[in-house]
Amino acid sequence: MTLLSIDWFLFFEKLILIAVIIFASLGIALYTTFAERKVAAILQDRPGPNRAGPFGLFQPFADGLKLIMKEEIIPNNSNKFLFVLGPALAMVAALMTCAVIPWGDKIVAFGRTVALQIADINIGILYVFGVVSLGVYGIMIGGWASNNKFSLLAALRGASQAISYELAMGISLIALLMITGTLQLGEIVKQQMQPGHFWNVVYQPLGFLLFLVCAFAECNRTPFDLPEAENELNFGYHQEYSSMKLGFYLFAEYINMFISSVIMATLFFGGYDIPFFDETKHADWGNWLALAGVVCLMIKVVIFIFFFMWVRWTIPRFRYDQLMKLGWKTMLPLALLNMLITGAVILWLKK
Amino acid sequence: MPERAELGVMNAIIFSALIGVVMMLGGIVIKSNAGIKLLAIILLFILLGSHLAEYYDLFNIHIQTHGMLAKSRFGMFFNTIIISLTLLYVLLSGDEIVKVGTYGAEYFALIFFSLCGATILSSYNNLLMLFLGVEIMTIPLFVLTSSEKKNLKSNEAGLKYFLMGSFSTGILLMGIALYYGGTGLFAIEASKAANEAQQAFRILLPLGLLFIFISLSFKVSAAPFHFWTPDVYDGAPSVFTSFMATIVKTAGFIAFIKLFELRSVDMGYSWKILLPLIIILTLLAGNITAVFQQSVKRMLAYSSIAHAGFMLFALYNPNDFGKQGIMLYTVAYSLATIGTFAVLTKMKDYTYEGYNGLAKTKPVLAATNTIFILSLAGIPLTAGFFAKYYMLASALKESTSNLWLVIVAVLFAAVSVYYYFRVIQAMYFKDGNAETTEIKPFFKTLLIIIAALIIVIGLMPSLLLDLFYA
Amino acid sequence: MAITEIIFWFLSALAVISAIMVVLSKSPVHSVLWLIAVFFAISGHYVLLNAQFIAIVNIIVYAGAIMVLFLFVLMLMNLNKETEPQKNLWMKLTGVVSGGCLLIILISLVRQATEIKGKIAVTKTGDIGLIKVLGKELFSSYVVPFEISSVLFLSAMIGAVVIGKKD
Repeated sequence: MTLLSIDWFLFFEKLILIAVIIFASLGIALYTTFAERKVAAILQDRPGPNRAGPFGLFQPFADGLKLIMKEEIIPNNSNKFLFVLGPALAMVAALMTCAVIPWGDKIVAFGRTVALQIADINIGILYVFGVVSLGVYGIMIGGWASNNKFSLLAALRGASQAISYELAMGISLIALLMITGTLQLGEIVKQQMQPGHFWNVVYQPLGFLLFLVCAFAECNRTPFDLPEAENELNFGYHQEYSSMKLGFYLFAEYINMFISSVIMATLFFGGYDIPFFDETKHADWGNWLALAGVVCLMIKVVIFIFFFMWVRWTIPRFRYDQLMKLGWKTMLPLALLNMLITGAVILWLKK
Repeated sequence: MPERAELGVMNAIIFSALIGVVMMLGGIVIKSNAGIKLLAIILLFILLGSHLAEYYDLFNIHIQTHGMLAKSRFGMFFNTIIISLTLLYVLLSGDEIVKVGTYGAEYFALIFFSLCGATILSSYNNLLMLFLGVEIMTIPLFVLTSSEKKNLKSNEAGLKYFLMGSFSTGILLMGIALYYGGTGLFAIEASKAANEAQQAFRILLPLGLLFIFISLSFKVSAAPFHFWTPDVYDGAPSVFTSFMATIVKTAGFIAFIKLFELRSVDMGYSWKILLPLIIILTLLAGNITAVFQQSVKRMLAYSSIAHAGFMLFALYNPNDFGKQGIMLYTVAYSLATIGTFAVLTKMKDYTYEGYNGLAKTKPVLAATNTIFILSLAGIPLTAGFFAKYYMLASALKESTSNLWLVIVAVLFAAVSVYYYFRVIQAMYFKDGNAETTEIKPFFKTLLIIIAALIIVIGLMPSLLLDLFYA
Repeated sequence: MAITEIIFWFLSALAVISAIMVVLSKSPVHSVLWLIAVFFAISGHYVLLNAQFIAIVNIIVYAGAIMVLFLFVLMLMNLNKETEPQKNLWMKLTGVVSGGCLLIILISLVRQATEIKGKIAVTKTGDIGLIKVLGKELFSSYVVPFEISSVLFLSAMIGAVVIGKKD
């Protein structure tokens, strides 16, 4: 069935996949907010939310409902279009990243082999970079359109922070890409799944560390949550926002956290690879093997998300100049060094 | 020496870039101004030596350039000239360079990088290299122009230069894109096969060349794209103006000639209208405005526009006569300009009044300055005369119908005598007490040597041209 | 009409309209935002030509980094109000005339090129834009300009330090 030279079956297959992944991301982000409160509670030795439903499991829905029901306020002197565009962009950029992530191996359904990846494009990880670099527009536009000095300052902080750490992030990744020789995320995972090949974190420990720190900075998570520093900037770039627009900003942050956890798991921890288990010997398990892979990826992601929260409730915030110093004077040279050493070792091994 | 398209003039390019880095790092170790200047001079000698080693086939770094650079006798000779001129320039004004700001070593490093760009321009064989060469040559200049941070005029000039420069680079890139669309190549020497394959789009080629022409006119400050020149030359610290107006400008002309030597045919008939138009406008804008200037520095800026008009004559006959002419012009004009600017930087007051009575206080300065200015005006017995002669002759050689243009140029040269002689008049025939900063004997000796060179070349231009053919 | 053709026309229209809006917008911030839209449209064209790498680099470098810095400066300078001085009428008129002349030349050139007529861009073919091929080209035929551009960046960096550092 082709019309306008489109394969419509493929089209709907991808559409369903996209819908599933987006809803899954949203659901996970929803429960991440819950998890954050619970983790904070545990770390601070208190029970945390426990009224709505068993163990407070319905709390996120209550929160969501509260956000939606609140009054929408658009400041008088703000630029209305941009004011709405800000949170929308933040959300879109956060969700767009999941398009290139390999969520699992191929599954067979209704006689069609479906890859659990929306698009295994040639440039893979660069696409992620492209989208991440756009995420900053959500913050900048929102902060500027609010017509509030604190928002603007926070937005500028956020933008400069994101740009500074993007550099170190990119360079730390280059070292990884030298080893893998490909940008396709699917290919990177498959390489790590090969028997006798360790996860990339073994080959790139420094690269991983740098990437992790930069991911914290890119997600605006503590200790890099300068754009939202309450005690300096009231409430940060979303000070003027209310209702679901505020919800979008907060949500985008959690989705970002989720996606960067997925990317770290994919790049450095074997993606949907099941540890200490040779998938090739159990190819007859079919769809179950693929699903086990997805579950395995999710377990890795949950561990990362927990780590994100653990750090948040343990480490205080940086001062702004410390943040910049760390980015430019520590992370960047370290990333360059890592790249040089990796390059030299690869050259030496090939000779 | 045959033209070897595969091997470029790599020694000068590689060494000037590396030396720039060495210079920059040297700034960390060496703190004294004198030490930095000494290092720069030593490095320049090394650069000149490495280049001459390649020139005489003693030592060169072989690199497969895939036709990006082409070695030619013309380019090599030009490189020798500009490296020697830079050496002379640094010897003469090195003290002033380190005095401009706190980054002496960096200024020299930027000068070396700029020189690297100029050497690329003298040997490029591909429009990508043209673009890179132009950029490498001009980006350090933006910085040097605005290096006098406390001076508002210097900042303004730097910004203006930067904006104008980027704008013209945009036009250059547009031109290169259209050229690529028309020929399917970046190379300036197009092979036949590629041409035929792209016959359908060949129509884009003249437009692309026109864009490149406009952009390069910008870079060499030919009218009507000259408006940035007076402000930038005036605002920049005088030492750097001297560098910009000589070495950089002539390198721009070399790039110009190289491209239009091969490609002026593709511009078609419009070329015949465009070139005289630009030449006349440039001569007009340069000479007439220079007459009304009160500051010598600004007058020199306008006169450099006028000289650009003369140098454009080389495009008429870029094959042999024009090439010889541009060599001669480069040497004559650069020597004289470096000399006048060196004197200018020593002056306390840049207006004509500031020169009043210089002959009495500093006779050597006044005498040498007179020779430089005579050469700039193109008076016989100085190098400037033969330079102008070759330029005009190249136009006549192309076709005698250009006679009218030559006559116009001669008339403008006569106008230029007026404002040049005002300086001489101030130095010799006006009473005053021209104040200068401290002048070392070494500086005077160098000035005398430059003046002697100008006279020697003016008497026997064949000395220089023989070197070219030797 | 194939879907690629529809996308092509859509992207072209988007690019041209956004580019016009860049010039027409009163607020500089809006101009920058429109410019970002232009970059996206152009990246879309690259994707149509199967030049994925160039497309994404265009977004990362231009839309993601350079334009953010532009916005940065504009927001800090608070250029929201129309502080731009009115140009005089003659300037505008000359601008229109010279721009129009260029447009006429370009149009007449394209019209003369009869061979181009009726041809549409070749989409989704060729792999020169893919990173593997591009990398090989860059490090073989174009290695000299590639390496020499490092001199350009080095001098620009030195320049930035010389200008930007406090005395």
